[in-house]
Amino acid sequence: MDIANYLIQGAQVALQPMNLLFCFMGVLMGTLVGVLPGLGPTAAIALLLPVSFHIPPVSTIIMLAGIYYGAMYGGSTTSILVNIPGEAASVITCLDGHQMAKKGRAGPALGIAAFGSFIAGTFGVIGIMFIAPPMAKFALAFGPPEYFSLMLMGIVIIIYMSSGSILKDLITAVFGVLLGTIGMDTISGTQRLTFGVLELADGIGFIPAVMGLFGISEILVNVERILATTLVTEKVKNLLPNLQDWKESFWPIIRGTVMGFIIGVLPGPAPVISTYASYATEKKLSKTPEKFGTGHIAGVAGPEAANNAASSGAMIPLFTLGIPANSVIAVLLGAFMIHGLQPGPTFIAKYPDVFWATIVSMYLGNIMLLVLNLPLIPLWVKVLKVPYPILFPLILIFCLIGVYSLNFSQVEIGLMIGFGVLGYLMRKARFEMAPLILALVLGPMMENNLRLALLVSQGDASVFVTRPISAIFIIVSTLLIASSMVPGIQKRRAQMKEKLGDEEV
Amino acid sequence: MKRESSECEESLTRNDLIGGLFFLAAGLLFALYARSLEVGTWDEPGPGFLPFWAGSLLIGMSALLIAKTLLRRHREDAGPFFPELDSWKRVLMTIGALVAYNLLLQPLGFVLVTFFFVGFLVKCIFPQGWLKSFVTAALSTAFARLVFVNLLEIQFPKGLLGL
Repeated sequence: MDIANYLIQGAQVALQPMNLLFCFMGVLMGTLVGVLPGLGPTAAIALLLPVSFHIPPVSTIIMLAGIYYGAMYGGSTTSILVNIPGEAASVITCLDGHQMAKKGRAGPALGIAAFGSFIAGTFGVIGIMFIAPPMAKFALAFGPPEYFSLMLMGIVIIIYMSSGSILKDLITAVFGVLLGTIGMDTISGTQRLTFGVLELADGIGFIPAVMGLFGISEILVNVERILATTLVTEKVKNLLPNLQDWKESFWPIIRGTVMGFIIGVLPGPAPVISTYASYATEKKLSKTPEKFGTGHIAGVAGPEAANNAASSGAMIPLFTLGIPANSVIAVLLGAFMIHGLQPGPTFIAKYPDVFWATIVSMYLGNIMLLVLNLPLIPLWVKVLKVPYPILFPLILIFCLIGVYSLNFSQVEIGLMIGFGVLGYLMRKARFEMAPLILALVLGPMMENNLRLALLVSQGDASVFVTRPISAIFIIVSTLLIASSMVPGIQKRRAQMKEKLGDEEV
Repeated sequence: MKRESSECEESLTRNDLIGGLFFLAAGLLFALYARSLEVGTWDEPGPGFLPFWAGSLLIGMSALLIAKTLLRRHREDAGPFFPELDSWKRVLMTIGALVAYNLLLQPLGFVLVTFFFVGFLVKCIFPQGWLKSFVTAALSTAFARLVFVNLLEIQFPKGLLGL
C-alpha cells in the first residue's frame, strides 16, 4: 500500500463524527490555553489525560495533538494584544506583533499569524507523512546502546539550550534520572525507595510531577504579586492582511516553515528555538533590518510559521523512536502509554490506523484553526479580560481534579503539591525544570537500555562508542557540553537565556 | 543599575548554595540507599546500579556547585527572596489551601471542599468582595460537578453531605 491508500484509511477514521468532534475540542482547548498566559500546552494535555480514559485511543491522540498545535495558534493572540506571551514559543511575536497592534494594525498581525501558522502547519504534516515511515525503518536497527546514547543526547541538547549554568542543569537532569528510579525495578522486581507506599511501586507519577512543576509552581510565582495587564484594543478589525502584507510575509513564512520543521525534528525545545532562528534570519536577510521591532509584519509571519512547523516536526521522534523531544511531547508520550500504545520504530507498522488518522486529523485541525480562529478572536479578547484573582483558583481546581481522577489517589495530589513547591523553589533559585522533567520520563527507559547494553556486551562499556550510530550520538553530546565551556559560545548562550527568560519550554 | 546587578548576583549566590546543599543531600540519600540494594558490577548491573552511580555523580556535581559558589568573590547582602513584602503570605496561603483540599477531600466531599477552596482563594489571596467570591465559588463548583461527575462520570468522595 502506498501513502495515498494509507491516507484514505486514515481519513476514514479521522472523519468519523466522534473524531471530528474530539479534533475540534482539542484545537479549541489548545487555542484557549495558548491564549491564557501561565497555562501552557504541557499542563493542558496533562489535565485532559484523565478525561481521555473514557474515549478510544485514536480519539485521545487526535484531541491531545490538537491541543499541542492549537496552542501555537493561541499564543500569538496574547503576544499581539497584551504584549505577554501566551506561551514560550510566542515570546518573539511580542516584538513586532504588539507594535503593530499599537499602530492599530492588530488585525493584520493576528491574520498573518493565523495564515502563517496554517501554511506551516500543513507543510509540517506533509513532512511527517513522508519522513516518519522511512525514519522508523532506519530506527529498527537501533539496539539498547543506540537508544541509551540517543536519550542521553536528548537530555544534553535540552541542557545546552535551556539556561546559563550547565552545571546546575546537569544537576537537575541527574536528579530527574534518580527520581525516575523510584518504584519497582522492572528487571529484578526489587522495590526501590517506595517505603511501602503502594502508589510509588509504579514509580513517581509523571503527571503529578508535570502538573506540580509547571502548573502549580507557575501559580505560586504569580500570586506573589498582582500582574497588571492592559489590552491594547477592544475591537479588532480588518483581519485579512493586504497585498503589501502578503508580499512582505511570503518568503518569511516559507523560510520559517522549512527552518522550523528541521529544528523540530531535532530534540530540544524546538518551537521556542525556531522562532528565534527565524526572527534572526529575517532580520539578517531584510533590506530594512531597522524596521524590525517597530511593527514589521515579517517579524510576526516568520516566527509564527516556524513554531507551528516545529511543533509538527517534533512529532517525528515521538512516532518513530518513542522519544519525547520536549516536555509537551513527553506528556503526549504518557498519553500513548496510558492507552497501551508504545511509540517506537514499530509503531507506524503496528498501529497504522492511529498514525494515519492522527495525520489526517492534523490537516483537518489546521483548517479548523484557520476558520475558527479569526472569527473567535473577540471571544479570546473576553477571556483575556478575566482577572487573574478569579482565574488562578480555577486553574488550581483543574489541576487537583486532573490528578485525582487519574488514579483516584490522594498520594498523587500530595506528590503534585510537593512538586509544585519544589518547582517554585527551583524557579526562584534559577534551576531549570525542563531537564528534570525530561530526565524523569527518559530515566527508566535509559536505565533499562543501559543495563541491557551492559549485559549484552558483558560489562564492556566501550559498546557505546564502538557502534557507529551510538558513537555519533555520544560525540554530539560531548561536543555540546565541551563547546558550552568555550567563552564565546558561553556568552551567546547567556544572551539566549536572557531572551527566553523563565518561560516553559 | 550596578547596585541592582550585584544584588541579583547575591541572591543567586545564596540560592545556589542552598540548592547545592539540597541536591547534595538528595544524592547522598540515593547513593546510600542504593548500597542496601544490589549494586552489581559492570557486566551484571543490579537494581542499585544506576541509583548508586547517578547518586554519586549528583554528590560530586553538587559539591562542585557549592565550592564554586563559596569561592565566588563578591558576596554582600542578599537580594529579597519575595518581590513584595506580603508575597510570602499569599504563597503560603495558596500552598496551605492546596494541602487542606487534599486533607478535607474525603471527610467533606468533592462539592463542599471545591466550593470552600475557590471561595477562600478568591476572597483571601487578592481580596475580592464577598459576593464576587461566593458567585465564583458557586459557579465553578457547579460547573466542575456537572462536567466531571455527571458528564465524565469520575468518582469523587461524596463526603458528609453525600453530594
